[in-house]
Amino acid sequence: MGLMTDLLCSGHAACPGCVEALSLRHVLGALGPDTVAVIPPSCLAIMAGPQPLSGLRIPVYQPALATSAASASGLRRALDALGKKDTQVVVFAGDGGTYDIGFQALSSAAERNENILYVCFDNEGYMNTGAQKSSSTPHFARTGSTPAGKPTRKKNLTAIMAAHEIPYAATASSGFLPDLLRKVEKARAIRGMRLITLLVPCLDGWGVPEDQGIALARLAVQTGVFPLYEVEDGYRFTLNEPHKSRPVRDYLEGQRRYRELDEGVVATLQREVDEGWARLLARL
Amino acid sequence: MNSPALPPTTWTTGTTEAIKTGTWRAALPAYRKTPSPCQLACPVNGDIAHWMQQAKAGDWHGAWTTLVEHNPFPAVAGRVCHHPCEPACNRAGYDSALAICALERHIGERALAAGWRYPQAPAGARHVAIVGGGPSGLSAAYQLRRRGYAVTLFEAQRQLGGLLRDGIPPYRLPREVLDGEIERILALGVDVRLGVAFTTEAQFARLRETFDAVYLALGARAPKHLAQLDYAQPWVVDGAAFLAQANAGKTPALGKRVVVIGGGSAAMDVARTARRAGHEVVVVSLEAEAQMPAQREEVLEAKDEGVRLLDGAMLRSAARAGARVRLDCVRVKFHDGQVDVVPGIAFCLHADAVIPAIGQDPQLAPLRALLRAAGTLLWTDAHGATSSEGVFAGGDAASLQRFVTQAIGMGKRAALEIDRWMRREQAAAAALPLPVPFGAINTFYHPGAPRIAGGREAAEDVAQALAEAARCFSCGECTFCDNCFDYCPDMAVRRVNGGYAIAGDYCKGCGLCVRECPTGSIVMQEELR
Ligand SMILES: Cc1cc2nc3c(=O)[nH]c(=O)nc-3n(C[C@H](O)[C@H](O)[C@H](O)COP(=O)(O)OP(=O)(O)OC[C@H]3O[C@@H](n4cnc5c(N)ncnc54)[C@H](O)[C@@H]3O)c2cc1C
Ligand SMILES: Cc1ncc(C[n+]2csc(CCOP(=O)(O)OP(=O)(O)O)c2C)c(N)n1
Ligand code: SF4
Ligand code: SF4
Ligand code: SF4
Ligand SMILES: [Mg+2]
Repeated sequence: MGLMTDLLCSGHAACPGCVEALSLRHVLGALGPDTVAVIPPSCLAIMAGPQPLSGLRIPVYQPALATSAASASGLRRALDALGKKDTQVVVFAGDGGTYDIGFQALSSAAERNENILYVCFDNEGYMNTGAQKSSSTPHFARTGSTPAGKPTRKKNLTAIMAAHEIPYAATASSGFLPDLLRKVEKARAIRGMRLITLLVPCLDGWGVPEDQGIALARLAVQTGVFPLYEVEDGYRFTLNEPHKSRPVRDYLEGQRRYRELDEGVVATLQREVDEGWARLLARL
Repeated sequence: MNSPALPPTTWTTGTTEAIKTGTWRAALPAYRKTPSPCQLACPVNGDIAHWMQQAKAGDWHGAWTTLVEHNPFPAVAGRVCHHPCEPACNRAGYDSALAICALERHIGERALAAGWRYPQAPAGARHVAIVGGGPSGLSAAYQLRRRGYAVTLFEAQRQLGGLLRDGIPPYRLPREVLDGEIERILALGVDVRLGVAFTTEAQFARLRETFDAVYLALGARAPKHLAQLDYAQPWVVDGAAFLAQANAGKTPALGKRVVVIGGGSAAMDVARTARRAGHEVVVVSLEAEAQMPAQREEVLEAKDEGVRLLDGAMLRSAARAGARVRLDCVRVKFHDGQVDVVPGIAFCLHADAVIPAIGQDPQLAPLRALLRAAGTLLWTDAHGATSSEGVFAGGDAASLQRFVTQAIGMGKRAALEIDRWMRREQAAAAALPLPVPFGAINTFYHPGAPRIAGGREAAEDVAQALAEAARCFSCGECTFCDNCFDYCPDMAVRRVNGGYAIAGDYCKGCGLCVRECPTGSIVMQEELR
């Protein structure tokens, strides 16, 4: 790991300990400088800097929240027309901008198999605007707009995109950096539509101490809440290490958004995780 | 387009590095080499975390060099040290403590087999006399020679080693191991005078006048006596004398059955040595088995070898009864140094000889007028200085912690203090450091791995030694793993001169680098602005 010069610059305005910033740093590092990024409104756009200063050492285009995948499609074609076929076009978008507001553009780009890499930085809510729920917010989690806990379950973006039969869809986490870097490098070498869903604990939005983001990212994987896997062409599933080995309670405990869960709710969440894990195993 | 007033395009003029996010923080991480708990528990203050890391990398010579910085007897210690480092090991709170002693033995014996030597020591004008050629005297001689002092070592006996030779039996400490490590020290150039015993006040006084400094490492060689026992009887043989003869290959002839009195390491060695010579052996100890001061493994091994243990028992009297000796005993409860006789349980034993092994005191008679005593010991300050300027003391003569590595550590500390005193340097204010706590180790980076099975001999094989060394958390010892560099979301950890530094302009003080450090080598320091 560790480029000599990072493509993400110090001085960005992400919160102290932000796992989204850390993930962005390493995704950029694995992509390299011949990259153009599309970043819709989100915490990522904050890190991209207040004009005229930039937080990234590569060109960045900031589109409207609903149009990331469409903008990236256009940029791709423009670069191709200029003969810059090796330049990577990537989208760095939040979950709100992906699961909800940017979803139709994403689905259409996938249907057209646009040659872009779409990285969703999933912090399970509209965090930049003060932590409202998105369709990625998990069952029972409290947000500003679900003060008693979210009554519905989290949408499964990776599965939805795999169902578009795109060449590559994967989950990854900064808690398992070598796996994350391998996936970005693998995705970079594939042509067509690629998606990586990164689970990024939001310290403020989830109610977690500033030094605990990576520990929590690991627990999400170790408890099976966020399994690491890859899907190629919509049907070739690969499960990555580590596998589910701990009770979901270990993951819930350190987060204020899950405060005061009663035992029945913990059991329900455990059942949901177990069922999801079993379904995933059945696809292998 | 006919609108004349389009807003001007804003070009990117620079990076966010212009924004100094360091102003946000309340605490700044700092790299710090904090001692490991094993090091603080080690009587020679060995840099265990460091040599473990060298061993892990297969750098055996480097590991040995680090070991002998503090202790010229790693192979001896690997066989006989009571290893207080192991119960202190941070890994004990996770799965099980490192087998530190077994690894030390591996490295010590590897060095002997390979014939590794110390670099030549500088010659020096100033001259230190050492009295006593046991582990403490030899440790001081070694540390002083390395620092360029001329050393003359006086030893009453015909061979060096002290209790390593007269006390600890060869089956626990093979003599080629002992001789090999002593010879390597002497090769540094030590003037050894064997068979020279200092017995009078005048001799000690003259010694101080002749040399620039003196280190007294006389040991504790006068056996304590049991009032109940008549030591003039031919069937009473003191344990120290018995072992000295047996260890030299001249086991005294004692008849079939012997009773050993005592519950410490020495009593166990006497019992096991007698057992090996073919005797029936009974040990009578005041302490109940679990309280016995001997190391637990020694007691278990003695019992395995057929030694019978009568614990919680006290000898009342012993007298010849026909061809044998009759010992009258009572049951006792021993607690907090108190002995309570259990009423109504008296019994008697018959034996051919009795070997008391209940401890030894230093012989201070010729020194009483010259130096202050502290009970049965020589008085010293924390650095080993006695009440007489230029005279230092250590080992069994000045401590009730009767252990080989304790004696070695006191020899080292005294040598450092002599060096400081000779150079007229101020003593450094010694703040007692706190060890790296278990909570500072991120165990994600240390997957569970069982401790090597077996005792001190367990790490004989290289693969086993490497696997065991790899279990070390490297407490307080940066391994240059790059985690702090890789996990900073603000690129505030910079690589500099083969190490790392925090860019204070940008560090927001999140503490993620500290949390993700596998070795506890970074701490957060509050900043008051
Ligand atoms: C039987 C037995 C088994 C033991 N087993 C262990 C063990 O397994 N592990 C452990 O850690 N510890 C063990 N110990 C304790 C350990 O051996 C001692 O604590 C250690 O040897 C003390 O070292 P020292 O250098 O202070 O004294 P010693 O080893 O006693 O050396 C002192 C030396 O000074 C010489 N000397 C004394 N007076 C004079 C004088 N006036 N002039 C010249 N020379 C003099 C003596 O001849 C002797 O060689 C054991 C002790 C005994 C008795
Ligand atoms: C169409 C539209 N609706 C709302 C907003 C306001 N807005 C800006 S950022 C943001 C949150 C986006 O959430 P997400 O994509 O999850 O990114 P995060 O802030 O969590 O990184 C919102 C709602 C907007 N910019 N455009
Ligand atoms: S893990 Fe290693 S450095 Fe830490 S206490 Fe144990 S032996 Fe010492
Ligand atoms: S991870 Fe970076 S920002 Fe956080 S405390 Fe360490 S150096 Fe500072
Ligand atoms: S994280 Fe690794 S490189 Fe950084 S201080 Fe700790 S051991 Fe050293
Ligand atoms: Mg979000």
